[in-house]
Amino acid sequence: MCIRLLLAFALLALPQFGPGADTQWILEQSTLTYHVSHPLHQTEGVSHAAKGKGVCHAGQCDFLIAVPVKSFDSGDSNRDLHMLQATRGAQFPMVVVRTRLPEEVSRSATIPVDLEIQFAGETAHYKQVPFQLVNQGNQIRISGTIPATLSDFKIEPPSLLTVPVKNEIPLRVDMTWHP
Amino acid sequence: MRRVFLKTIAFACLFLFTVRFACFAETNNDKPPADTASVPSVNAAADSLHNAIARAVTAAFSPVGSAVRPGPAYFEDVAFFPGQAQGNSQQQPTPPVTNPAPPSLGDLGFPTGQTQGNAQEQARLDRRTHMLKIHQRLGLITTVPLLATVLTGGFAGGKSTSSTARDFHAGLGSLTAGLYFTTAYFSIFAPRVPGTPTRGPIRLHKALAWIHGPGMILTPILGAIAFDQKSRGEKVHGIASAHGAVGVVTAAAYGLAIVSVSFKF
Repeated sequence: MCIRLLLAFALLALPQFGPGADTQWILEQSTLTYHVSHPLHQTEGVSHAAKGKGVCHAGQCDFLIAVPVKSFDSGDSNRDLHMLQATRGAQFPMVVVRTRLPEEVSRSATIPVDLEIQFAGETAHYKQVPFQLVNQGNQIRISGTIPATLSDFKIEPPSLLTVPVKNEIPLRVDMTWHP
Repeated sequence: MRRVFLKTIAFACLFLFTVRFACFAETNNDKPPADTASVPSVNAAADSLHNAIARAVTAAFSPVGSAVRPGPAYFEDVAFFPGQAQGNSQQQPTPPVTNPAPPSLGDLGFPTGQTQGNAQEQARLDRRTHMLKIHQRLGLITTVPLLATVLTGGFAGGKSTSSTARDFHAGLGSLTAGLYFTTAYFSIFAPRVPGTPTRGPIRLHKALAWIHGPGMILTPILGAIAFDQKSRGEKVHGIASAHGAVGVVTAAAYGLAIVSVSFKF
């Protein structure tokens, strides 16, 4: 009976302290910036409204980051509303990014990340996007640029004076995570 | 009656002795615990013993202690093995989880209204963009007759009571005014998006409308008065003499309004 009790206790206690213990990461602050090119304009839209969470288990971490489309601010309300319309932002109000990373990459300086991005009612995958990691105490700062394009999400390029913007809309990411 | 009573006592003693023996034997076997969990126990004393030990262990390891919890302690509250108890209470230690679910959008704490799509709002945005695209195209088209009107204005004077250049200038002016007000219609009646403060170059674009809008009303009126005066062989006088200046200011404000949203300063 004693052996049984000890075994039961060990079974209950081990997962709390073992190497496969679950950890969570929370997105503390973020700056997401999209860039749009037009012969007459170079425009950037910035959002600080992203929220994110990472759940690590058995050496693998699942991350989810989401940001409201309407939170991007280009400094021009008319342009922002047009962006919201062009990206179907009222119908699909969130940009959702998912990725899975090995837990040990938190000690690397640069990591290649596979991303799944849901935006404008479409889903696009980006393979091996390089991100830079900087450890800041118990926080990790992650930065990089996602090579997004309008055609990836079937967005018709907005035009100004009948000239459409470029297809490339790189998204610069700067995030600080803490466990 | 007495015989029945004695028989009952004898059976009870025999039963308890058997239970004792079985319980003692169980402490020496090495059967995996899952066996006892999966097979329903018929041994009431063994269950009782389980119960007592389980309560003792809970009391020893629980930070709050079982004494804190009011009411009776149930065997299910200290189930050690999967399947041993069906109704898990909150104080029960969490069994090892195989694989936690990846985070979902609901975990991030966005308000529900912010994450759900709104087809009506999208339709409003689509209509707004459609009307403003027409506004933009017509506005660009309007610049052509507007420039032509300003340029031909220099040839519309003269001393004669009738002139082709003057008629041409008046015709271009009418076309410009017609296109201008059509352009303005698509801007004025484009759906508004509530809760969106106007920021950026569009503010200057809208402010300039307070100059070229009245100017575009006033210029044709002054032009008509001037045309009448000329037709009567009079020199342009009075308020009509401001026609040229008002027209130029209107055209300049209009051009600036286009530039304000076309180039980044």
